[in-house]
Amino acid sequence: MFESSLCQILFYVLAAVAVLCAIGVVAYRNPVNSAMCMAMSFAMVAAIFFGMGAQFLGIVQLIVYAGAILVLFLFVVMMLDIHDERSSSNYVHAAMGVLIAGFFAGLVINVSLGLPGATDNPCPAKTLCSSFGELLIGDARTVSEAPAAAARYGGALPELSAAAAARLENPAISEADAARATSISDVKLLGKCLYTHYNIAFVILSFALLSGTVGAVALARKIRKD
Amino acid sequence: MNMIHNLPWLFLVLPLLVAAIDWLCFSKHPRLAATLSLLSAAGTFGLCVAYLNGLQTGTPGVYTWMPCSLEQLCLHLGLVMDPLAMRMMLVVTGIGLLVHFFSIGYMKGDSSNLSRYYAGLSIFMFSMSTIVLADNLAMTFIGWEMVGFSSYLLIGHWFDKASAADAAKKAFITNRVGDFGFLLGILLTLGFFGTMNFADMAGKAAGIAPALLTVTIVCLFCGAVGKSAQFPLHVWLPDAMEGPTPVSALIHAATMVAAGVYMLVRLQVSMGVEAFTETACCIIASVGAITAVIAAIMAVQQDDIKRILAYSTLSQLGYMVMAVGLLAGEAAMFHLYTHAWFKALLFLGAGAIIVCCHHEQDIWKMGGLRKRMPLTVLCFLMGTCALIAIPGFSGFFSKEAILDAALAKNPVFFWMGAGVAALTTFYMLRLCIVDFLGSARDHGAEHAREAGFTMALPLLILAVMAIISGYGFIANDLVPFNGFHAHGFELGLPFYVSMGSLAVGILLAVAIYGFGGRTKDPLAGNCISKALRNRLYIDALYDKVLIGGLQQGFAHLMQFLDSYIIRGIICQGLMWFTVRLGYLFSAIQCGSLRAYTLVSGIGLVILILLLAYQF
Amino acid sequence: MIPLAHYLILSGILFSIGLAGVLIRKNIIVVFMCLEMMLTAANVALVAFSRAQGTAGVPVYDAQVLSLFITGIAAAEVAIGLALIVAMFRARRTVESTALNSLKD
Repeated sequence: MFESSLCQILFYVLAAVAVLCAIGVVAYRNPVNSAMCMAMSFAMVAAIFFGMGAQFLGIVQLIVYAGAILVLFLFVVMMLDIHDERSSSNYVHAAMGVLIAGFFAGLVINVSLGLPGATDNPCPAKTLCSSFGELLIGDARTVSEAPAAAARYGGALPELSAAAAARLENPAISEADAARATSISDVKLLGKCLYTHYNIAFVILSFALLSGTVGAVALARKIRKD
Repeated sequence: MNMIHNLPWLFLVLPLLVAAIDWLCFSKHPRLAATLSLLSAAGTFGLCVAYLNGLQTGTPGVYTWMPCSLEQLCLHLGLVMDPLAMRMMLVVTGIGLLVHFFSIGYMKGDSSNLSRYYAGLSIFMFSMSTIVLADNLAMTFIGWEMVGFSSYLLIGHWFDKASAADAAKKAFITNRVGDFGFLLGILLTLGFFGTMNFADMAGKAAGIAPALLTVTIVCLFCGAVGKSAQFPLHVWLPDAMEGPTPVSALIHAATMVAAGVYMLVRLQVSMGVEAFTETACCIIASVGAITAVIAAIMAVQQDDIKRILAYSTLSQLGYMVMAVGLLAGEAAMFHLYTHAWFKALLFLGAGAIIVCCHHEQDIWKMGGLRKRMPLTVLCFLMGTCALIAIPGFSGFFSKEAILDAALAKNPVFFWMGAGVAALTTFYMLRLCIVDFLGSARDHGAEHAREAGFTMALPLLILAVMAIISGYGFIANDLVPFNGFHAHGFELGLPFYVSMGSLAVGILLAVAIYGFGGRTKDPLAGNCISKALRNRLYIDALYDKVLIGGLQQGFAHLMQFLDSYIIRGIICQGLMWFTVRLGYLFSAIQCGSLRAYTLVSGIGLVILILLLAYQF
Repeated sequence: MIPLAHYLILSGILFSIGLAGVLIRKNIIVVFMCLEMMLTAANVALVAFSRAQGTAGVPVYDAQVLSLFITGIAAAEVAIGLALIVAMFRARRTVESTALNSLKD
């Protein structure tokens, strides 16, 4: 009980810091400050990933975003020797931007709180589950199962079960062995999914990365005047 | 063929067909066109004579031109073949035939397009026959407009002469004023009587309030005021003399201008006399009498031979209208009938004189014509005698009939009629004395020669008609009125008064103009003469008030509407609005990345809104 | 435990802040950072859904794989994007988006 409430408090603290840092990214005039805030925000998000049991994604978040991408940003900022924004800001433009973003946030919050169980407002959730039922990640989710799936959106996230993870990891495992499992091997399971189901997509992604690298070099290369 | 009952339609079809052929096919062959028109006039005349001699072909067919679910709103084309119509047709086709014949001589050597002239005459014959034979008011109106159109064509035949073109326009536009009232009257008739058919109108007047009847009749009378050139719309007729003289004889003396009288009598016959309320009659008779008086006064100081005759026509038309207003339809039609012959004679005689004097129209430049062209002068004198109502000539009988009726109904009109008779005698004798007696005052008259055969023959025929058409043996059969009987000549107050006015007129004319020795009008030069020569300034008043004031004011208003409302607000305003709108939309395409992002952000929000709530 | 809705709200707020940054900021590098933040916000939602959808105590790993792909693509995008920014800076001597107004030409 203590552990779970600690987790809860930790989540809200982390979320608050992440949001504050995100605001900092937008608010700071100096791009270096913005970059630092972004790194902080990403780190908080990585911590929230850990809290959700997605350890591998959290690590990736840290390494890729807070590490590599941040360094790239900082590198470019330094290299181009960019200072604060000096040109006078257009307040109407800024106000409209905030308005749009605020409206969007309100929309998302309203929709989220409209999930069954989140509040007692069933109206948008009903439409939401039917549309989300088709957009769900799993291929097995069909519209007919949508009400059952929608029920799972409400309330707290389901607990993880080491036994189920063990069974998923090795379908041939005996029930007794599965019950004896104590930890979930997140990387193993993710890797299994990635290298079986999504193998081809993963290879294509690697090509995309490669071509991105080549393209970046080609773009940033200094063009000779002759 | 059992289509024989449709034979009367030939009265309309024949001239119309000929007009089309003349205009479309024979525009380069005036001789062919003239022959064809002459033949068509002869054909209709022959048909008319045949019908008057008892030819029976059954009832002519009635055709629905514009059908309508409401029976009384249908436009039917039908013919009425009663004595009133058929005897009127005799006048129209008979004088029409003679005028066609006369035209061949008169228009010889004219350089204008003669095919157009003959086509115009044929169109006129068609339209006039339509008026006469129409069995309903709508069809009358069609003919009414068509005669206006053909009159326009023929007055403006020499359209390269500015005065002729102006006169044509004046005639047409002045007639429009009257026609507007006529159309109103037709609609009122349709509303109150429930029908436009002459045959169905009988007896319905009893159920209609007298005030409404008065309005209806006065509106219908407006048409007659325009077409028969009654005061105050009389101004077009003297100007219409710009057209060729045979046209003046046919249209502006004998037939078309009498159409108003014919229409009124037709209405009296079909609606019944009780439809003509006292007020309406008073208006009609007053307008007629006023026209008769002022036209006679104005004729006294005219110098143009055709204009004298034109004012004389006006004055005689005033007589007829007055007779209609006095509910003496038979007298009106009798006078219409005799007047048609002798006035056509006078006009054609004037035409012959004009041609022989090398297109000289001023009577003060003629003179001594009795020696140069005795036959024409003799015929002209016959016509004059008929017009000034010398006993024994046709005009005497008809004028007596009108004066009788006037004395019986209202002595005021009787004395006005008597005064007009004296004036008529005076100005006609003035014309004859100046023209025919004395010696030639200009070389045009000196070299005058007798008119040719084509002109002389119609004159002779008309002269005979001018003498005999008033006598009972011919009038009883041919005067266009149902069951007319020319009452014999009676001694009485009307006779003495008219003899008195005749004597006064003759004495005055001889006293002032002597026996042809004068070279200048002794009456000219004073202010009264000037006023009369300027037509009592009525035309000038119309020019100033109607054209200068009203029309110009209206033109200014229209110009204001056109330049500010239509061009300013509607055209340029629309353009301005479109341009502004274009600028507004082009502002969206500013090229700024940030603005585009903003707009796509708005789009994103809208998209999510639509998706999440499935509006 | 924390309900799914709270994760989604966090994700939505992060995304909205990113959107606001994209719309408001002129410095194109910061705009780019905000774009990355929006992608991360999507990742948060994905991982939360992977947990919520999980049956019998195992998350749905398909969602996590998708999240991984997003991270990978984001990395490639950053590489390209920053190269573009460098190229733009070379061409215009500025990284302000107000300078990018030649789209109407």
